[in-house]
Amino acid sequence: MNRRRFLGSVGSAGLAVTTLPTMIDSIAVKALAGGDRQWAQLLGGADGASDRILVLIQLQGGNDGLNTVIPMTNDRYYERRPNISIAKDAALPLTDTLGWHPRMNGFRALYDEGKMAVIQGVSYPNPDRSHFRGTDIWLTATDADVFGATGWIGRYLDVQAPDFPSTLPSSPLAVQIGTSLSLGLQGPKGSMGISFRDPEEFYRIVNSGGSIEEVPSADYGDTPAGREVRFMRDVARSADVYAEVVKGAADKAASSSIAYPTTDIASKLRVVSKLISGGLKTQVYLVSWANNNFDTHANQVNTNDPTVGTHANLLGELSEAVSAFMAEMKELGFEDRVAGMTFSEFGRRVHENGSYGTDHGTAAPLFVFGTKVNGAVYGSDPDLENLDPIGDMLVQHDYRDIYASVLLQWFGQPRTVAADVLYRDFQQTALPLFDVPVSVAERGGGRDVLGFSSIAPNPAMDDVVVRVNVAPTADAMLEVRDVRGRVLHGEPIDTISGVVRLNVSGLSAGSYVLTLRSGSAATSTLLNVQR
Amino acid sequence: MNNTPVDLSPFAPVLTRADALHLLRRATFHPSLDMVEALVGKGAPQAVATLMALEPPVSVPSWANDPPALTQQTGPPLWAELQKWWIGHVLTTTSVRDLMVAFWQNHFTSDYIVVYASQWMVAQSMLFRQHAYDYPTLSEQIVGDPAMLRYLDGNQSVKGRPNENFAREWFELFSLGVGNYTEADVLEAARAFTGWRVMGRTAEYNRQLADLGQKTILGQSGPWEYNDVIRITLEQDACARFIATKMIQTFVDYYPSDDAIAAVAYLVRRHAYNLRPVLETLLSSNYFYATQHRGALIKSPLQLSVGLASLLNATAVDPASIVQAMIQLTMTPFYPPTVQGWKGHHNWINSSSFPNRQRFGEAFLEGRQMGTGTRLQTTQQTPLEIDLVSVVRRLPQYDDAEAVVAGVCELLLPVETSQEQRDILLDVMMGGLPASYWNIDETTANSRLRQLFQTIVRMPEFQLM
Repeated sequence: MNRRRFLGSVGSAGLAVTTLPTMIDSIAVKALAGGDRQWAQLLGGADGASDRILVLIQLQGGNDGLNTVIPMTNDRYYERRPNISIAKDAALPLTDTLGWHPRMNGFRALYDEGKMAVIQGVSYPNPDRSHFRGTDIWLTATDADVFGATGWIGRYLDVQAPDFPSTLPSSPLAVQIGTSLSLGLQGPKGSMGISFRDPEEFYRIVNSGGSIEEVPSADYGDTPAGREVRFMRDVARSADVYAEVVKGAADKAASSSIAYPTTDIASKLRVVSKLISGGLKTQVYLVSWANNNFDTHANQVNTNDPTVGTHANLLGELSEAVSAFMAEMKELGFEDRVAGMTFSEFGRRVHENGSYGTDHGTAAPLFVFGTKVNGAVYGSDPDLENLDPIGDMLVQHDYRDIYASVLLQWFGQPRTVAADVLYRDFQQTALPLFDVPVSVAERGGGRDVLGFSSIAPNPAMDDVVVRVNVAPTADAMLEVRDVRGRVLHGEPIDTISGVVRLNVSGLSAGSYVLTLRSGSAATSTLLNVQR
Repeated sequence: MNNTPVDLSPFAPVLTRADALHLLRRATFHPSLDMVEALVGKGAPQAVATLMALEPPVSVPSWANDPPALTQQTGPPLWAELQKWWIGHVLTTTSVRDLMVAFWQNHFTSDYIVVYASQWMVAQSMLFRQHAYDYPTLSEQIVGDPAMLRYLDGNQSVKGRPNENFAREWFELFSLGVGNYTEADVLEAARAFTGWRVMGRTAEYNRQLADLGQKTILGQSGPWEYNDVIRITLEQDACARFIATKMIQTFVDYYPSDDAIAAVAYLVRRHAYNLRPVLETLLSSNYFYATQHRGALIKSPLQLSVGLASLLNATAVDPASIVQAMIQLTMTPFYPPTVQGWKGHHNWINSSSFPNRQRFGEAFLEGRQMGTGTRLQTTQQTPLEIDLVSVVRRLPQYDDAEAVVAGVCELLLPVETSQEQRDILLDVMMGGLPASYWNIDETTANSRLRQLFQTIVRMPEFQLM
């Protein structure tokens, strides 16, 4: 009998198999974890070039945007929400016409520091009001009528790590803090992410028993069972490798003076912070509430005080958790590498229902924050007069415009990659959310960096001098757009001097977007006009 | 997607042990050796009839008859008692009806955090039990079920300003699926679902409070009330397809072909949504027993934990410890993550849950709680003994080491193992000694078997059914 004798002796009982040498599969993960040289090879390649980190915060259940960023001078808002609206004097100041929910002090502070972008009216054509379809659409970044099987983050990471999963990058490509794994992280070759609640617990779960490698798979061929076994072996292998890596990072985490709130979402962001400061090279983190918490059909506010209640508590949890997380990132010196983004499957209906709540709606504000974020309110205040036939708000910004901003500006991806990941080219409508120079190398123009070097004065009243970095031989344009994306002015750039003079005396007060274009590359920043 | 021909005609051969285990794993929570032995040698229709005739009674806990408490102020939540009651029941009884109760719990979902009163959760569970095969009746009654009225805000939906929560989920998750209704249908149905108020342990439909006005739902106009919405919805082909798809995903194949859905939906309609004959046909069919479908599904934590306890004849285990394990494996009984329920299959498996499932199996085989390592107790608060020798003595040829390995593999795994796998497992069991040293009467037999069982439950194949 051709029997593979590799086992020494069976221990008296229990988990003795754990300690046995493992030499079954081509990839002997346990042995690698013990210091085998192949470890380094396995972990060798495919680390993404970017050291920038994106933290996604999912507001599961459909966040009520109108009670988050309050249109506090809009009579229609108070008319349609007699019992649940937030009074003007209760809201925290944001703009002349908009206020923050009173529990969003942390977001307000980030905005006041110029680190928070508020994008109004985010949705997509023919919005779906189902939680589950809506969530899938947002995660897969597809049109409303397309049923996608992979997530936009998964597709982006697949580009970064083309050899995954046969070669695993040294850090997990994406991490979800929680007990489930999001469709958003699903790539064409399996999930690009791992999930766990706590690094210590994860390590213990993986390492307190025997390995999957003891018994190899049989050849099940192309059967459902065969596919499921392969799927589980990939998952197990990732877990085996990364439990060690994640614990190593958590153990090296720097300490800080920041006290986190004792909420679930804050504890999840705290784990993210630990992993970042401990040196994990993961590019994308995802955290969310455990359930459809933001689904506030009933009693979203207390009957006697609309500033308190379920929704107020959720916004308070969000704002306080993000505030603590960003404060810690700042204290530990990681602030410039981190950007955060919230998302939710839909906003809620303009009018309240009869149970102190709101039913499923459409467009809502989305938040992007970080030191490299161009803090501003993008888009106009909610239009509560011109609604769709159901009575819901119309879309101002496609959610993929923001994804495109993240891919192009934050992760510095070429236009072609962003277009592949999002199944369409959203560059023209991407918002200038990040103040980050981009490379024009993709155009064949060498390693030149396209970017703004100065804008003075800013804020401006009439004359502005804009200095840009651009290759002297390139063709470049400077565009001035309003925050709704309409082009107000375009001007070719003298690339020898790199200086453009603008006169903004004809523009009303507010934020404007300056976009520098050269071929297919573009970068944007904000210009503020004062009167 | 799977292109196995959809042959719903009866599976002709008599059931082998592997066939009987396939049926028991899929149609009950209880693949016990007693049941395996009772079904082997029977024809498939006869085996299914035998199983479905088992209708063990369920005893309702005494507190379930107390007035429901809605807040901490009015009474304790009794959630742990609720979970122990249900898991204790499925641990100790074999019944297809129990599986259908779980099916409806994951279809017409509610959760105890929102509902609060465990009395209502028990009442809902008993409703599922009573009408486990009768989708039309269940649909009509769930509208006025107190737990559902509270979970999806039906008790707060008023004429003039309806709450759309239940109406949307009725179409999307309970009957038709997305794409088979319009937003206008949701608005109109929300009006028709008004008029309900919870009164103590039951709820009352008051036509005075209901919106009796003219409505158009799925193209039909009239002064529709809640039961009209149910009737009109069930007339849709999409409804039969939706229920058929869920049944196939639960019992046969998570990725059914369009042909399979069409064939089962035809049966659903022919039997006017009486799902008992549909299930009898399905579970007796060539489609169900096809090699392609063996091991095609991933066990839920309930199927994993109760199934293992059942196979090991360890169902005397305190149900509280099974509940605790299920929670660690991310299936908190009576607390699905969303109104969609547990999505199942791949969603059960990730980098944390897969190794946790391995740890569950290893620990249970030592009679210990996963994670804490504390000794498992029986309901009588005595240490739970996992007697593997007794389990293996019921296998044919238990005095032959290779036959033991093959028999245990058949018991625990839904797919055929390879010679290479069995060779390695034999080595694990014998600790390198020749197979001829196997002696089930030796004192080392139990620890050898534990090594074997633990190695098998770590295999990904064990997560399949």
